[in-house]
Amino acid sequence: MDVASLIDTSTGRQSRSIYSSDAVYRQELERVFGRCWLFLAHISQIPRPNDFFRTYMGEDDVIVIRQKDGAVKAFLNTCTHRGNRICRADRGNARSFTCNYHGWSFAPDGALAGVPLENEAYFGELDRSKFGLVPVAQVAEYKGLIFGCFDPAAPSLDDYLGDAKFYLDVWLDALPGGTALVGETQKMVLNTNWKLPVENVCGDGYHLGWAHAGAMMAVQSMDLSGLSVGNSSANLDGGLSVAGLNGHMALTSLDGVSGYAFYPEPKPMLDYLEANRPTVTERLGKTRGEQLWGSQINITIFPNLQFLPGLNWFRVYHPKGPGQIEQWTWAMVENDMPENIKATILDNQCLTFGLAGLFDNDDGDNLAACTEQSRGWRTAQMDVYTNMALGRSGAREGFPGDIAAGLVSEHNQRYFYRRWQEHMQASSWSDVPTYNLNPLGSREAVNA
Amino acid sequence: MLDLHPEPALHDVVTALTQRLFHEARLLDDERFEDWLELLCEDVSYHMALKSRRFRADRSAPIAVGAGNVFNDNLARLKLRIDRLRSGFVWAEDPPNFVRRVVSNVEVLPGDAPNETIVHSVIVIHRNRIDGQNRLLTAGRTDRWRKGGEGWRLAAREILLDHSVLPDSNVNVFF
Repeated sequence: MDVASLIDTSTGRQSRSIYSSDAVYRQELERVFGRCWLFLAHISQIPRPNDFFRTYMGEDDVIVIRQKDGAVKAFLNTCTHRGNRICRADRGNARSFTCNYHGWSFAPDGALAGVPLENEAYFGELDRSKFGLVPVAQVAEYKGLIFGCFDPAAPSLDDYLGDAKFYLDVWLDALPGGTALVGETQKMVLNTNWKLPVENVCGDGYHLGWAHAGAMMAVQSMDLSGLSVGNSSANLDGGLSVAGLNGHMALTSLDGVSGYAFYPEPKPMLDYLEANRPTVTERLGKTRGEQLWGSQINITIFPNLQFLPGLNWFRVYHPKGPGQIEQWTWAMVENDMPENIKATILDNQCLTFGLAGLFDNDDGDNLAACTEQSRGWRTAQMDVYTNMALGRSGAREGFPGDIAAGLVSEHNQRYFYRRWQEHMQASSWSDVPTYNLNPLGSREAVNA
Repeated sequence: MLDLHPEPALHDVVTALTQRLFHEARLLDDERFEDWLELLCEDVSYHMALKSRRFRADRSAPIAVGAGNVFNDNLARLKLRIDRLRSGFVWAEDPPNFVRRVVSNVEVLPGDAPNETIVHSVIVIHRNRIDGQNRLLTAGRTDRWRKGGEGWRLAAREILLDHSVLPDSNVNVFF
């Protein structure tokens, strides 16, 4: 496959075939989802021993299980005998998992614990140690977020996240009690290629005033970086498009409050921010404490994890072929929040970006139609463009990354596709470049 | 308690409420949202909770902060949704989707208050979407209807959606 011809980051061009081609998709499963660190679960979702949570890595069905000693393991959710799915529940607590087909059972540590008729039918010759559940090659945690990786040669999770941690910590490390995901998983099928929703959230402030105009008119309660209904104006001084961080991105306002712009009644949240800002500023420094914490901020961890502190939704996209995904969403809280604030966040997240979300319900059809318009004989040969603000990025004092001004830019999308191309061209991790552009001086990096 | 016996009274109440449900479905099919709001009590509660697929024997603790909702609406929130749908900016509804509701399995039971009834029903919503494809959503409903000067009005609706993964890109419909 000629991956070089599919993307041109210098002009912001993408071939539409990357949204529809089966061959591209098969290679993505191998070189993107088979290689990158993928979000599995938050520690708050499996707090006790034997708690489990079922998810996907690419199209592979995976069970994440809390062990007796508190560690977390992840396994392919498939019986090592004939391949049947062993866990059919979304989540729960189980002392063992028994396959429906022939009754093989597995312990939470993956060991094959029971085989019916083991002595009679296998003549006692089955080596159980060779038939435990197959573990995910690497599992690691970053401040409550559990990630898995199929590639034993991948860099550590810490290196993989790199300087994106500066932005991740705006949520994960703002307060000493840590974070949690709350609510049941909000699952929705969208007939879109998986890259389109990532692109939509990672950098596309442009669509907000137009695609979501109806919702903005109905609920917007405060200014969001000057973005307005109908895209009649935008204030490019009010935000940053941050990329150049190993494929990870942030799209952020700088006002410290606009994360709550889509709360019909934001007052309790603004009071909460005011009361806790001194602590956060002490922990994260002035830049993040005053300008990022509480702001509208979209964070993307390549390839398929996105979350928005403030609006408080946290999401992964599981690919189901080139033209379909399952979108999974949860609400994000800080454990130090009073219970009524947590409840308000869950409630508002469901109202704005849930299954019947006033904003979320605007995006699905656009993404599906972009996918459909890449599938025809003629359209599959055509290109699409993310060429806004080309060449207008650079260093910005106090913030790591290659940065363009404003929330309306296609700077981040170009870096997303650049990273995608780098992975698709590389035959192994050793061919994948590492870059954390414009790193902070140590004086600003921590606890400034 | 509302006296559902003798038979003629029961028959009248069941007929009135069944007709109310059918009328409500037609108002929503026709996007007569303002007329639909007239059928709701001022203190209406309109609710659909999220759920997950669990083993029957699962004993894990209840989820912290609650399950979360698809709808957790009072009258003001329902009006907010209708404001959005009426804004002229909801592109997913323009051209309009073809939506038809089928309401069935109506069962009327006495309520706790003398002027209230509990009404169970099933709703099937068929949507022929802009992409030409069909989506089918099914749900069970448990309603509380209250009788006042203007006839029966909806005081509360608890909706049980029958999908663990929503098979559609939006829920721009009321159940």
